[in-house]
Formats: sequence, structure tokens, C-alpha cells
Amino acid sequence: MADQVRIARLWDVDSPRVTRRTMLGSMAFFALAACAVGPAPTNSGGTDGAGKAANLVDEPRLNFYNWTDYIAPETLPGFTAVTGIEVTYDNFSTNDEMEAKIASGQAGYDLVVPSDNFLRRFLRSGLLQPLDHDAIPNLANLEQRFVEAEYDPGNRYSVPWAWGTTGLAYSKSQLGDEVTGFDAFDLPAARGRSSILDEARDGMAIGLLKLGHDPNTTDARQIDDAANFLLSLKKKLGQINSDVIEPLTSGQVRLAQAYSGDAFQASDANDDVGYVIPEEGGLSYVDLLVIPKDAPHAGNAHRFIDHVLGAETGAALSNAVRYGSPNAAAKPLIDKDLLNDPAVYPPAEQLAKLPFTKDLGGDVEALYADAWTKVKTG
Amino acid sequence: MLRRWLKANGLLAPTGIWLGLFLIAPLVVVVEFSFATRDTGVARAVLPWTTQAYLTALDPAFLPIFGRTLAYAGATTVACLLLGFPLAWFISRHGGRYRTVLLAAVLIPFWSSYLARIYAWKALLDGEGLVNTVLGWVGLDRDGGFLLTHGAVVLGLTYGFLPFMVLPLYVACERFDFRLVEASYDLGHGRVSTFFRIVLPGVMSGVLAGSLLVLVPAAGDFVTPKLLGGVDQSTFGSVIDDQFRGGNNWPLGSAMAVLLLVLVVVVLVLRGRRGEDVL
Repeated sequence: MADQVRIARLWDVDSPRVTRRTMLGSMAFFALAACAVGPAPTNSGGTDGAGKAANLVDEPRLNFYNWTDYIAPETLPGFTAVTGIEVTYDNFSTNDEMEAKIASGQAGYDLVVPSDNFLRRFLRSGLLQPLDHDAIPNLANLEQRFVEAEYDPGNRYSVPWAWGTTGLAYSKSQLGDEVTGFDAFDLPAARGRSSILDEARDGMAIGLLKLGHDPNTTDARQIDDAANFLLSLKKKLGQINSDVIEPLTSGQVRLAQAYSGDAFQASDANDDVGYVIPEEGGLSYVDLLVIPKDAPHAGNAHRFIDHVLGAETGAALSNAVRYGSPNAAAKPLIDKDLLNDPAVYPPAEQLAKLPFTKDLGGDVEALYADAWTKVKTG
Repeated sequence: MLRRWLKANGLLAPTGIWLGLFLIAPLVVVVEFSFATRDTGVARAVLPWTTQAYLTALDPAFLPIFGRTLAYAGATTVACLLLGFPLAWFISRHGGRYRTVLLAAVLIPFWSSYLARIYAWKALLDGEGLVNTVLGWVGLDRDGGFLLTHGAVVLGLTYGFLPFMVLPLYVACERFDFRLVEASYDLGHGRVSTFFRIVLPGVMSGVLAGSLLVLVPAAGDFVTPKLLGGVDQSTFGSVIDDQFRGGNNWPLGSAMAVLLLVLVVVVLVLRGRRGEDVL
């Protein structure tokens, strides 16, 4: 035990020798590590008007970074067969994981699929290339809703890959048909067994929608009211958690605010899980194809985007991943049972209550983040 | 003279470089982040320098978390002491030749992933889990099980940090001269009086060291409250985790981490020299 005593003495803070050494070391490193914090990067250079889509490295390659299990088996071979471009296909399972690679600026990917909330982040930091619309004639196949979308009007930087909604997943056997809106959180069977998403904009949307406000509001008072509503709702909740698939499948959670894609995965594993879009409304989310600024094969990336926007490839993709397709031309070729499922393709009047999460700018987004922290800690 | 200096510093160099690169440098970066401005792009923390994060972190709104964290860590420490002391005493007093085996048994849970073990607790504690079923036989079950309660969090923390308490206590018990207990009995002290006047002062260094080893990491832990706790179980550690992982506010997360660190340093200094024989 003698050794242990000696090692442990190094921890003593009142030993003058260690203190001086630590001080000197930290001073030196303050100088060295000063590069850790820099000025905010701005979205400058090439923002206005896209250049011609061209490859920096002239070779028939494409480095594609996508979510796991989020592609049709024929998508990549089909693209290679048509264009002769070899695709290196890598996967990620969270936006954070993907962001870490893209933010470094040297990942070497040509095409990435962030969700719309991370598109906002990327755009603020100027990490993306504007798209050359001349190289993407199939852009005309997009549904109008995705051309006008608030997250990127006119598809200047992004083209939608697949979309879904934020609604309520629930246990059919426990809550039955009683789940129609956010009032379901008051059901006795849901008390203490429900959860909401741990994501500022999605969580705050419950409060805003319940109070009849726009989930994209910029009004500080409405945001504050929503936070107060959520603080009272919190007493009835079990958890604030974005990982809903496992708790829903196991039955631990009976009612959960969830992304439709996660809800469908849970119901694949357990028939008892249902999904409904609340009568108060919800949010639409979309995963988007974007080209990082440093992409070595941007020209090939444009060709891939154009390929995926084709009617047949778009339909095959949608049939395989079972998400909503943004491709109007592909609609006639999509499986009828998928097309008629209101949870995947909500009817028009419901769709009107499912706006995309709008980019409200750094200051307002910070308001949402602070209100959310208040909800979580209060 | 120079040679001696070189020799001494040469020996220190590997440790110095290691500590410098992997302990001090990240710490410096955290301190820098805490004085930076929040960025809603990918940079997260940018210039200009500001103390805004500290003002937010010291806001009274965060007080409940502070109290809750201390309560969890304190309850965990007490529970570990109550469980750990009899165990350590038994192993050192009655362990005989099985001492090493018994000590190893305390450490064996460490061989598997902490996360996996906490998920196992989740299964045990939920509505249909073993704990609730068994308690149901005597009518003590609870709708939805014991998951997402304060008790679940303290249980998880106690389970996770118990070995940190047992080991220093064992060392202290091992050093304790058991003849003192006999002497105390001979001189007319009862069991209770002997415990408080002879045994406890004798193993106090171990109690302090073990308490510190449990209290500090329990106050910083975020996985256990996140997985076993519910909406009202967020702690200092889980709020810091939120600020980083949700990408909400790195400066605030860093400022809170610095404050936690300062608090720990204060505890270490207050500890004084009493615990140092064992720790």
C-alpha cells in the first residue's frame, strides 16, 4: 500500500510544488490553446449565385455520408450503372456525429444528409456550397411545398431526401383512441409514463401549439408563456428524452412526442405502438442532401442529386425507407398502402398545421434554447 | 547542479507531458469556452470574451439543480458508508484467507460496462421488472415501477460507486489494531460506546477518503440520473451534458463545469490533511 500513498499525494492541492508547476503549465497552455476560441465564422464567399458545378478532383468518385438504413438497395448501384461514378458510402446515426466530421472541414465528403435543424447550423457557419440548379434539371420534380420551405427557400443549398412529422406515439392497448392531441398527456394512464423530445424547438412547439401560437414564433413573450406551460406539463411527464424507440417498444413509455420515423420503427418492433398527428398541429422535419464547401467531387454530387430526384429512383427510395417523399413525379409509383397512410402523407388540411421549423436567426434560436433550459431545470 | 536538474526534470518529463497534454490543456480550453460567446452555428463558442455564462450559471433558477445534485451525492455517500463499512470490516476482520477473493468480488462488476449495468437496473426497476413484481407480492409495488424516481437515481449511484468506498475503508480497517476493541471492552465500554470512541476515530481517515471518492464523482455523474431519473431528476452533471450535447450553449456548460471544479477543490482543501494517510 506504500506506493498507493505516494501516488495519491500528487493530488494534494496544498503541496506548494505541484501548485507552482500547475500554474506555470496552465499559463503556458493558455498561450498555446488560445486558438480554441476564435471569432464566429460568417456565411461569406460564394453565397450569392452558385458557381458552375465542377469537381475539384477529376475522377469518377462520390463520397456519400448518410444515416444508417436510409436508402434503397438499388439507389447506389443504379447511379453507378448510369454514370460510371463509384460511390463510397459511409453512415452515421446521429446529427452530432455527422456534424463533428463536417465541421472539421476536411472530411472529404461530397454529399451529406443533415436534418433541417442542422442545416440551419451549417448555413450560419457557411459550411455549404450553393447548388448549381442548371446541373439539376430534375429539381422540377419537387413538390411545391419543398421549394418554398422555410428552412431553405428556393433550394439554394439543399434538396430534400425524405421527410416526416413530429407527433405523438402511444400505446394502443393502454390509451386506445383517446389520443388525438396534447390533452392526452392528462390521461390517467399516461401520467408519469409519457415523454417529450429533448430538443429545444420540438419541445417548445408543444407549449406554443397548445396555447394557440405559431411554433415558429419570434415573440419573446409567447416563448416565455410556452415555457411556463411546459413547466406545468412537466409534472405529469415521465421523461424528457429523444431516445423514444426503446421505451416505446418495451412499453415503459405509453405516450411520447416522437419523430414519425422513430415511431414507425417502434411499431415495427411492437404492433401496439401507434402514431398520430395532434389536432393542435405539429412540425414537419426533413433530411436534406447538401454539398459541403470543401467537397472534392461537387460535380458528381450534383449528378447524384439529379439522379435521386428522378421519378423511378425517388419512388424506389420512398418505398424502401417508408418515409414521406418530397418528389411529386415519384408519387404515382409509390406503394398505394404507403401513399394512403395519413401518418406518412397527412391530408391537406392537416398538412397546413405542420410547418417546417423555420430558421429564426441566432438571437431568437438562443431565446428558444434558454427557455428550454429553463423548462428542463425548473 | 545542471545535471541534477536535468535528471529530476527528465524523470518528470513523461508525466509532465502527459498531464500537460491530456489534463491541463483540455481544462484550459474549458475555461476559455466558459468566457466565450455562444455561437448558434457549428463553432459553438466564439469571441468576444464575456462573463455572461457565469451570470447565467449563477442565476437563482439553477439553485434547485444545485441542491438536488448535493442531495443525491450526499445520500449516495451515506448509503455507501452504511453498506461499505460493515463489508470492509467483515472482510478485514473475518475474511481470513478469502480476503483477496472477497475484495476481488467487490471489484468484479467493474469488469463490465457501467452503461450496460445501468440498463440492467432499468429492466429490474421498471413496471414489469423483478423489483416491482417481488414487492407486489407484499403489496408494496408502485404503478410504473420505481424507474424515474429519486430513489432509483440514488440506488444507481450507490451501486456504481460502492467499490470506491469499500477499498479505502478496507485499508483503514486493515490498519486498525483490533486489540484496541478488546481493551475498550476490558475497560468497561459497551458496544455502542466502543464503536463511537474507538473504532470510528480509528478508521476516520478511511471514512473521509472513501466519502470523498464517492461524493465527488457522484456529484458530477450524468449518466445515472439521465437513464434512471425522470423529468425532475436532472443534476448539475446532466445540465452540463445538455449544454454540450444538445449543442445549446457550450459557454454555459463550460462555466458550470468550472464552477463544479471550483467546488470540488474547495472540498479537497477543507478536507485538510486528515484523509491523506489512506488517500
